[in-house]
Amino acid sequence: MFSEQAAPMAQGLLAPPSAEPPTFPRVPVSGYLDCSQPFQLGERGFSRQYAHIYAVRLAGMRPGLERRAQSRWGDDIVLRKLSELQAGEKCCVVGTLFKSMQLQPSILQEISEEHNLVPQPPLPKYIQPSDELMLEDELQRIKLEGAIDVQRLVTGTILAVYGCEQDDGRFLVEDHCFADLPPPLPWNGPSSDRFVLLASGLGLGSVSGEALLSTQLLVDVVTGQLGAEGEQSCAAHITRVILAGNLLSQNTQSRDTINKAKYLTKKMQAASVEAVKMLDEILLQLCTSVPVDVMPGEFDPTNYTLPQQPLHRCMLPLASAYATLHLVTNPYQASLDGVRFLGTSGQNISDIFKYSSMDDYLEILEWTLLAGHISPTAPDTLGCYPFYKTDPFILTECPHVYFCGNAPHFQSKLLQGKEGQRVLLVTVPDFGATQTACLVNLRDLTCQPITFSGFGADSED
Amino acid sequence: MADELYLENIDEFVTDQNRVVTYKWLSYTLGVHVNQAKQMLYDYVERKRKENSGAQLHVTYLVAGNLLQNGHVCHKVAVVREDKLEAMKSKLSTVSSVHVYSVQKALLKDSSPLYNTDYDIVKTNLQHCSRFSAIRCAAAVPRTPAEAPPAPAQSPRSQRDPGAAGTLNGHGPPAAKAPPQQHKGIMGMFAAKAAAKAQDTPKEAKAEAKEAPGVSAASSKPPTKNNIMNNFFGKAAMNKLKANSVPEQPKEEKEVVKPSVAVAEPESSPNTVAEKPGKKAESARIQQKDKKSKTKRADRSDDEEERDPENVKKKRKRIKQLQSDSSDDEDVPPSPTLEEERAPSPPPAPAPKAELEPASTEVAAGARKRKRKRVLKSKMFIDEEEGCMGKAG
Repeated sequence: MFSEQAAPMAQGLLAPPSAEPPTFPRVPVSGYLDCSQPFQLGERGFSRQYAHIYAVRLAGMRPGLERRAQSRWGDDIVLRKLSELQAGEKCCVVGTLFKSMQLQPSILQEISEEHNLVPQPPLPKYIQPSDELMLEDELQRIKLEGAIDVQRLVTGTILAVYGCEQDDGRFLVEDHCFADLPPPLPWNGPSSDRFVLLASGLGLGSVSGEALLSTQLLVDVVTGQLGAEGEQSCAAHITRVILAGNLLSQNTQSRDTINKAKYLTKKMQAASVEAVKMLDEILLQLCTSVPVDVMPGEFDPTNYTLPQQPLHRCMLPLASAYATLHLVTNPYQASLDGVRFLGTSGQNISDIFKYSSMDDYLEILEWTLLAGHISPTAPDTLGCYPFYKTDPFILTECPHVYFCGNAPHFQSKLLQGKEGQRVLLVTVPDFGATQTACLVNLRDLTCQPITFSGFGADSED
Repeated sequence: MADELYLENIDEFVTDQNRVVTYKWLSYTLGVHVNQAKQMLYDYVERKRKENSGAQLHVTYLVAGNLLQNGHVCHKVAVVREDKLEAMKSKLSTVSSVHVYSVQKALLKDSSPLYNTDYDIVKTNLQHCSRFSAIRCAAAVPRTPAEAPPAPAQSPRSQRDPGAAGTLNGHGPPAAKAPPQQHKGIMGMFAAKAAAKAQDTPKEAKAEAKEAPGVSAASSKPPTKNNIMNNFFGKAAMNKLKANSVPEQPKEEKEVVKPSVAVAEPESSPNTVAEKPGKKAESARIQQKDKKSKTKRADRSDDEEERDPENVKKKRKRIKQLQSDSSDDEDVPPSPTLEEERAPSPPPAPAPKAELEPASTEVAAGARKRKRKRVLKSKMFIDEEEGCMGKAG
């Protein structure tokens, strides 16, 4: 555990000044490889329709799913496309799910004048008992019923169903399966303790300043200013910091400038300008001491659709002077010291949360890993770039650490797969709300939360 | 003795100056390792309390350790007041560090003064923020200019452009394309004159401010530039920009031209550069310009003249002057950046100087208008204050 061996020297600094205090060298990252090239978009063209992304997704995942189906239901099962279905024949079909939800916000409904509807306010969940599931493949679609949990599944998932077509044209499902964990990556982890700090939702620029001291404490622990000598030497083993999105708070996203008259807003500066300056200073303090990977999030000044492109270097002039600052995409994939990290800033998980009955972020995170796709609801309810050649969100290799940012609280789980996969699932909590970050130990794939607090007038400590 | 010295210093900070002395603040102020600063604070507290048990001294501590929470072992790092120290220590299953966080005379209600103290001292020491830390990172070296692609090289120049880009771009930041194109045409014109003159930049700056003659040369230029601007801007924009453009252009050109080392070749780079950094300061400039819209020429020419005298001295106070006379809160960022760019401008001497010459004549034209417009300007300033809509960009 982090800093357990620091305990003996805990009170060391409650003493008169001693001779030259030690400085600890930061443990260097021995192997860093940025594997997020599939998420980096160069030239972007938006003239294509989104049908292509579903087509490549199905084409990409079909072989794996067919193999899975055969291993699960026997090698002799019949694999059919929807156009070849015969009534009453038990077969297996691979296709894309579509869930038709009555409450799903639809832009066409909003602007429909016949209805004269006020746009629906955002709800925490859009599921309803009357939702229906449909399976689509390249040419046709069919309604599903039977042993399949309609509430739990979301649009865009590729799955294989086993059952038969009924006389009324619906498909009665007896069993279904997903792509399951992707093939494992070889393990080359370090043999000594190396830590990676995962934090998300710093929320700079928010109206309340409670989290500011906690943010400063976080920076101080990582840069080795805080703590007694034992703790500082443990902090020197933090080899990297990954900031998973929402560096800016939602308050910086005020859209008043669009609604208000120009003469009222002419002299106003966007709240995000101040927040980015604060971010620059914080990143500078971190970058002088540790390599930092900065992922953009929902409220950060970058593009909205997934994959979000890295923040631009010009916004962070002070910090980007250092080579230790890496501005990376969301989702982000990298290999640190032989351990493969893959994670997002949480938009994919929270979108599935809205359209599924699953409530637990860790459960949803695990489900996306088992479904073999980082973000199945894109592009249906989550903005996505119209890919047409490949779908980069398909999981082809099993990462060692799979995280999502901006979760309501910290959770972690070590998942073991049948083919020897070992994945540490981490939901990184929102720092602005919980003042908690995560420390992942690369040696044994364990994770520990680290909480910061100051004292206030009304708090008990 | 060196030992006693720090005790006296801390005593002075705490009792005389009534400061909140955090370990970090002490470390930066005395130039010592953070651990030494923590020990110094502890020593001070101990001695002071031994001498005078009724001493008005409040101490906050940092406690860190492991805590069992929600079924997993959580590492907790907390700043606590002295009276809650033991309670916190008992809550933790293992204590990994305890040290003094801060010492102050008054009892703190919450931890925001601690944050503010640390924030201020770090802000003034941003360039060496890890100097006294206990961890050194070998990889944390500034990027070499070769690694960092065009942007840093262009940023000095770009930041000098904001005035240019902003004011030319009367209809708002997004139209950053237009200014670069204008610059091309204008700089092309200057390039022709580049050979003619080569003198001190500072001297020229002086001349800009004070030269009255040579207006004729200036007056001949604006019309041609207006034509170029017509080409790039639509009709709608033209009306707005007409008033702006004439006095603006020469001044902006001067600014634009100054930073570029060689006018001819990297026309594209200053242009592209003008876009990005220009945008940020553009919005500031545009707001400036919009505010002065009542007496467009006067203000701008006045601003320019304000700038030029400063330009003469150090090219440093320029922005400050601008801030003081235009709006209360001019945004500070352009100023440090602009200051930096002023610095590079003298070195690239020959070409900019050449351009400065023609620019100076235009400035002189503005100078002539100064007298007339001064009254207007002050009036407008008052108006601004009254009509000020809170924080200005």
